[in-house]
Amino acid sequence: MKSAGLARPVAIRWSPLVTALAFALPVVFVLVPLAIFLVYSFFSVDQGQIVYVPTLANYLRFFTDPVFLPVFWRTIVLCLSVAVISILLAYPTAYFLTTLRGRWRYALLMLLMVPLLMSYVIKIYAIRSILGLNGFLNKALVGLGILAEPSTLFVFNMNAILLTLTLLLIPFAILPIFLALERIPQVLLRASDDLGASSLQTFLRITLPLSMPGVASAASFVFVLAIGDFLTPQMVGGISGFTFGRILYSQFGTAYNWPFGAALSVALAVVVIVAILLGERFGRNRGASL
Amino acid sequence: MLLKRLLLGIAGVGLGIGLMASSALAANLRVLAWDGYADADWVKEFTAETGIGVDVVFIGSDDEIWAKIKGSEGQDFDVFAVNTAQLQRYIKADLVTPIDLSKLPNQKDTLPRFRDITKVSGDTKDGKVYGIPFCFDSIGLIYDTDKVKPAPTSMSVLWDPAYKGKVLAYDNGEHNFSFTALTLGYKDPFNLSAEQMAAVKAKLVELKGNVLSFYTTADEAQQIYQNNDVALIWANYGQQQVKALQKIGAHVAYINQSEGALAWLDNWVISKGVRDKDAAEKWIDFMLSKKVSGALSERTGFGNTVVESSSAGSNDKLVWLNNVEDPTKRSDLWNEIKAAP
Repeated sequence: MKSAGLARPVAIRWSPLVTALAFALPVVFVLVPLAIFLVYSFFSVDQGQIVYVPTLANYLRFFTDPVFLPVFWRTIVLCLSVAVISILLAYPTAYFLTTLRGRWRYALLMLLMVPLLMSYVIKIYAIRSILGLNGFLNKALVGLGILAEPSTLFVFNMNAILLTLTLLLIPFAILPIFLALERIPQVLLRASDDLGASSLQTFLRITLPLSMPGVASAASFVFVLAIGDFLTPQMVGGISGFTFGRILYSQFGTAYNWPFGAALSVALAVVVIVAILLGERFGRNRGASL
Repeated sequence: MLLKRLLLGIAGVGLGIGLMASSALAANLRVLAWDGYADADWVKEFTAETGIGVDVVFIGSDDEIWAKIKGSEGQDFDVFAVNTAQLQRYIKADLVTPIDLSKLPNQKDTLPRFRDITKVSGDTKDGKVYGIPFCFDSIGLIYDTDKVKPAPTSMSVLWDPAYKGKVLAYDNGEHNFSFTALTLGYKDPFNLSAEQMAAVKAKLVELKGNVLSFYTTADEAQQIYQNNDVALIWANYGQQQVKALQKIGAHVAYINQSEGALAWLDNWVISKGVRDKDAAEKWIDFMLSKKVSGALSERTGFGNTVVESSSAGSNDKLVWLNNVEDPTKRSDLWNEIKAAP
């Protein structure tokens, strides 16, 4: 009793500090940098020097210059496609995993996550040597007699980016879908079976709706990671695979136009925030009805 | 016997330490240079020859040199290496000291294109010499000798429809505008008029149709070369890139375009705060000796200014890189070119 009585005032004395720290860390390391970014997007550059006078010119340029919006939309479509393809591939994989029993299930899941341990750049390099005109894929297809001569379908273009991003990001789709599927109570499936539903009916009426939260978060994960990537498009995109990330990157490197780069980042951030909100909204809605 | 040898050894070590201490006490020459410009054996030989001790600091980027020299207003170093495009900035900021060519006997034996320094753009101002050319490399064209026949002489081969999809270009607006301007026959590729800029842009959009991909690093280009059907590479990394490709067995050769090839040129420069100008000039003269300059090319693969090297034949026309009129503008246009359908 006595010791508990002593411990309490100490905890009370320290708790405001801990609370303050808990709020200060995100503020200092997340909100403040983001705010600086936002402020920079209203500056301009003249002769390589940043002019600290507020202006809307950067945003005006983004909306009026014929270069940026088309690339912007094209990039969004590309990343949506990556998200859709990833989910189409990840769903059956995750479903298959949940049908496994015991330790196999997790062993296999771990195996699917192993690529995440590898350096991103190395993976892109490896994929590039697979995709090249004399790469592994073309050699295999020609060797098997499927193609008469090497195809340029997946060499340095949008298709190559699509394929590479899907390959790189698919673990991020499998995991949330797997977790959602795993959370579905077995009793529901058995009850459905008892009431005479076919397994297809059970899947469509019970499993699929209940796994939608996982699908929603998987989609927003993959989309957000894909849209922020500039390295993959840079390395496998060639001349036709020009994406928004590459424009953004060039503003910080060669152009030395940080304010405009910041404005472009804000545009990208809006898209990312919308994607995350959508993911969360659909994720939570369906989950709550459980 | 053994004891005697031991004692002699100890005495020798003691003497060595004493010498090192004394040379450190006398003001050493403070050198700021890129890796490969002041190798340990050269420094040792220089000290043995002149009795001047040397402290070398290596740098990794142009910005770093500027930060170090500007930061101390030229007081922290006696002699440093900088390229022609950068040098004018140092002259303008009054951070460098004119060099007396009569103190550099070896300068008279440099290759013809470097002998008259007033003809090297960027090295002089108001008749005074500020930079002594030391090391260079051109940005030429690598071609596959099996696929490109006859050997090209001009960059215009990059636009040849015969090599559609077999061209590797470099992902940098500044350089691409400059070399295309040279290919179009413009006199000053670093100061383009609005009209010229538009013409170069159109020409680069046209080039895109022939290009397989834009690369940024040398090993990236090499990997693309290995896995694809590449005939021509715009060689931003010059000789280094050629040698790396030849090492993996590629049948490639290198040319400097007849319209004039872009090239970077590093110079030895004496800082404003030089403590012993005589020593600094001795250092530069030593660097211009046949032995050191020859070894430089052997070790780094770059061209030197004294002995002929594979970077450029004696008749090749080289255009020393300079600051461009508006880097941001070029970068924006380059994005437009990349976004063009």
